[in-house]
Amino acid sequence: MFDILHSLAAGFIHVLAPVNLAALAVGLVVGMLVAVLPGLTLVMGVVLALPFTYGMSVTPSIILLTAMYVSGTYGGAITSILFRIPGEPMDVPLLWDGYSMAHVGRPAEALGWTLFAAVTGGFITATIMVTLALPFAKVALTFDAPEYFAIVLFGFTSVVALDNGSLGNAFISLLLGMLISAVGVDQIYGVARFTYGTDMLNGGIGYLPVMVGAYGLGEVLARLEQGFASPPLLGDGKVSTRIPSLAEAWKLRATFARSSLVGVLCGIVPGAGATIASFVSYGIEGQYCRRRDRLGSGIPEGIVAPQVASTASVGGHMVPLLTLGIPGSGATAVILGAFLLHGIQPGPQIFQTQPLLVYTIFASVFVGVIGMGLLGYFAIRPLIKVLYLPEAIVSVFVVMFCLIGAYSEHNDVSDLWMIVVFGVVGYLFERWRFPIAPMVLGCILGPVAEGALMTTMISYHNDWTVFFTRPVSAAAMALTAVALLYPAIRGLRRRRSVAAAAS
Amino acid sequence: MRPFKAFRFLSCWYLLLLIAVPFPAFAQDKYPSRPIDFIVPWGPGGGSDQTARELGKLLEPELHVSVPIINTPGATGNVGMTKFLTSPADGYTICILAWDTYALLATNRPQWSVKDFVPLGIVIQLPSGFYVAGDRFANWQAVEQAARVRPLKVAISGFGSPDEITTNFLISKGLKLNAVPFAKPGERYSVLLGGHVDLLYSPAGNIKSFVDSKQMRPIIFFSKKRLSEFPAIPTSKELGYDITLPQRRAILVKAGTDPAKVALLSEAIRKAVATPQYKAFLKESVAVPDSYLPTKATETVMRSDLQNMERIVRATAKK
Repeated sequence: MFDILHSLAAGFIHVLAPVNLAALAVGLVVGMLVAVLPGLTLVMGVVLALPFTYGMSVTPSIILLTAMYVSGTYGGAITSILFRIPGEPMDVPLLWDGYSMAHVGRPAEALGWTLFAAVTGGFITATIMVTLALPFAKVALTFDAPEYFAIVLFGFTSVVALDNGSLGNAFISLLLGMLISAVGVDQIYGVARFTYGTDMLNGGIGYLPVMVGAYGLGEVLARLEQGFASPPLLGDGKVSTRIPSLAEAWKLRATFARSSLVGVLCGIVPGAGATIASFVSYGIEGQYCRRRDRLGSGIPEGIVAPQVASTASVGGHMVPLLTLGIPGSGATAVILGAFLLHGIQPGPQIFQTQPLLVYTIFASVFVGVIGMGLLGYFAIRPLIKVLYLPEAIVSVFVVMFCLIGAYSEHNDVSDLWMIVVFGVVGYLFERWRFPIAPMVLGCILGPVAEGALMTTMISYHNDWTVFFTRPVSAAAMALTAVALLYPAIRGLRRRRSVAAAAS
Repeated sequence: MRPFKAFRFLSCWYLLLLIAVPFPAFAQDKYPSRPIDFIVPWGPGGGSDQTARELGKLLEPELHVSVPIINTPGATGNVGMTKFLTSPADGYTICILAWDTYALLATNRPQWSVKDFVPLGIVIQLPSGFYVAGDRFANWQAVEQAARVRPLKVAISGFGSPDEITTNFLISKGLKLNAVPFAKPGERYSVLLGGHVDLLYSPAGNIKSFVDSKQMRPIIFFSKKRLSEFPAIPTSKELGYDITLPQRRAILVKAGTDPAKVALLSEAIRKAVATPQYKAFLKESVAVPDSYLPTKATETVMRSDLQNMERIVRATAKK
C-alpha cells in the first residue's frame, strides 16, 4: 500500500511537469468538444488526435489520449440535457431524466448533477484503478460469449425502466431498432440481409446515423414545424451549474455505489464499455432505486446513474489495457497503438519496467477528473449562451455538425442520406408520441447481442442452457427476468387494487 | 519538425474536405497533382491500418502529395472494397487488400473479382500460427492428441478468412476443432488468456506483447520455413500439413487506370518499402523481411493463393 502511495506521489509530480500538464489540458478540452459534437464520436476523436502524438514522447501522448477519453465521457451530457441531442451513444439514457428535468425549468440542477456524477465516478474509478488494478484484471478474463450476451440482454431492459407511456410501443420501437441493425452483411457468416442488392445497404446501417438522425435532425425538423418559435427552454435566463449539496448527494449514495461498480465492471470486460455501462446502470436503477416509479420523469437518480457509470468505465478500461495489454474498446485500442508506437508494450511486466509511466498515467486521471470538473463548470456558461441565439441559426449549426460528424466516421456519403431518412423517422415518431429511445437502443446494442449469441451457439454447440449454468450469465439472466416481470406484476396489482376500490 | 507535422496533418484534412465537395475536373498535366486517397477497409488501429499509415507516410515524399488514410470498416473489408471500386479509375484512389478479404473470393463469392483491380505490389507478409495460453500443451503433438479425444476451440477472426480455411483443413485431417469467431482482437485475446478457448489463430506480430510477457506461446506456424524469431517452433510443412496461408497485404489501384500512372505508383511503393523506416516496421511486426513483391510477382502469388484456397475449401467442404 505504501509502495503504491509512494509511486503515485512520484506520478503526481510528473504530471505537473509543464509538457504533461499542457497535454492534459489540451486533451480535456478536445475530448469535451468531440463529445459535445453529435456525430463525431469519442473513438473517432481519439483516432484523429493520434497522429499529433507521433512527435511527442510517450508520457504526454498517453496523457493526452487518456484525458480526451475521460472528458469525452462527460461532454455529451450537456447537449443531451440542454438540446435533447446526445453527443455520444452513452448519453442516450441522460435524455430521459436529464432533459425532463431541464424541460421543467431546472436545467441548472440537471447540469450540476451530471458534473457531480462525472467527477465522483472519475474519482472512484481512478482509486479502484490504482489500488485494485491487478486483482480486477483477472475479472476481464472470466468473461466469455454467454456473459456478454446476458449482460447486453439486461441492458435492453433499461427500456422497461422507462415507464412513461406504453410498454408495447417501447418494445415495437426496440424491435424496429434491432431490425434496422440487422441490415447489411451479417457479422458472422457474411450473408447479405435486407440489402436488396444495393451497395448502400450492403455496409449496413450503423447506430450513428440512426442516433444522430432521429435525435439531432428529428429535433430540428420538429422545431421547423413550429416555425422555430418554441418558447425558450429556460425562461428565467439564470442558467449556470448548480452543484448539488453534499447532503443531497449523500441521499443518493446507493445509486453512486451501484453505478460506479457497474461502470468499472463494464469497463474491465473487453467489448462492453461506456455505452453498455450507461444503459445497464439505468436499468439497474429501474429495479433497485427507491424512487423507481418516478424514473424517467426527471429525478437525479436517472441522471447520476448513467453518468457515473460512463465515466467510471474509463478506469475499468485502463485496467486490462495496462495489466494485460488487452484493448477493451475502440478508444483504448488507439491508446494501445500509441504505446506500441513508442516501443512500449503494456502487459504484466509494465509495472516493473515502466512504473513511473504507469503511475503518471494513474495520477493524470486524478488530475484530469479535477480539470474536467473545472472545465465543465466554466464551459457551461458560454455553451448556454447558444440557447439565446435565434433558434433557426442554432438549428443550422446542429444539422451541419451532425452531417460532418457522421461523414467523418466512414467517409461515406450514404451515411448522410441515412441521417436524412432517420431524421424524418425521428420527427414522425415524435409527432405521433412514439418512443425513439428504444429504437436507438436496439441499433446500438442489437449487433452486440447478436454477435454474442451467435458466438455462444457456435462455441457451445447450440446448447442454450449455458446461459443459465454459468454463474455470471445466470445472474444477469435472473436480473433480466425480474426486470421484465416486475412491470407486469405491478400492473396486475394496480388493476386489482383499483378493482378493490371500485367494489 | 513538430509544428510542421501538425500543419501537414491539418492540411490533409482540409484538402480531404475540399475533395469531398464535387470537384471540377480541370486540365491536369502533371500526375499526381492532388492528394491520393488511401482506403483502408478496416478500422483504425488494426494491422492493415498500421501498415497503410506507415506506407502512406513514406509515400508522401515520393509522390509529393499527401496520402490521407480513409478508414471504411465493415463486412470483412467488403464495405471498403465497394467504396474503392466505385471511385473513378484516375489513380487518385488506392486501397490496401488484406488476405482476409481476398479469401472471400474462395469462400463467400463477393460482388467484385480480381479483374476489377491492378495490384501495385504486396507490401507485407506475416506468417500466422496457432497460439496457446501460458504453459498449456507442451508441444504440437500434445495438441494433436487432445484434439483427437475432445473438440478444441480455436478463436478466429471470422468465417471465410484464412483462419477458418486453415482450421477446416486441419479438421479434414482428423483433428477435432471448433472455430469460434471473435471479430474484436481484444475479445479474441482475452478468451484465450481466460481459458475459454484452447487455441488462437493469429499473425505473429499482432500478439508480440503477449508472447514477450509469456502469457501466450506459439505452438505451430503455418509456413514453409521456421521463423527466425521463433527457431524452436515447428512449421506446418515439417509436421506434414500442406497448408501455408500467410497473412499478406497488397496495394491496389482500379483496373483501367492509365498504365503510366500505375507504373509511377508502383515505383513509389518500391522506393517506400526499401526505406530503413519501413524495414524497421516490418521487423517490429514480425513480418517476412523481404515481404515486398512487385506487380508481376504479386499477380502470380495472388493467382496461386486463390487456387490454393479454393482447393482447400473444396477439399474440406466434402467432410
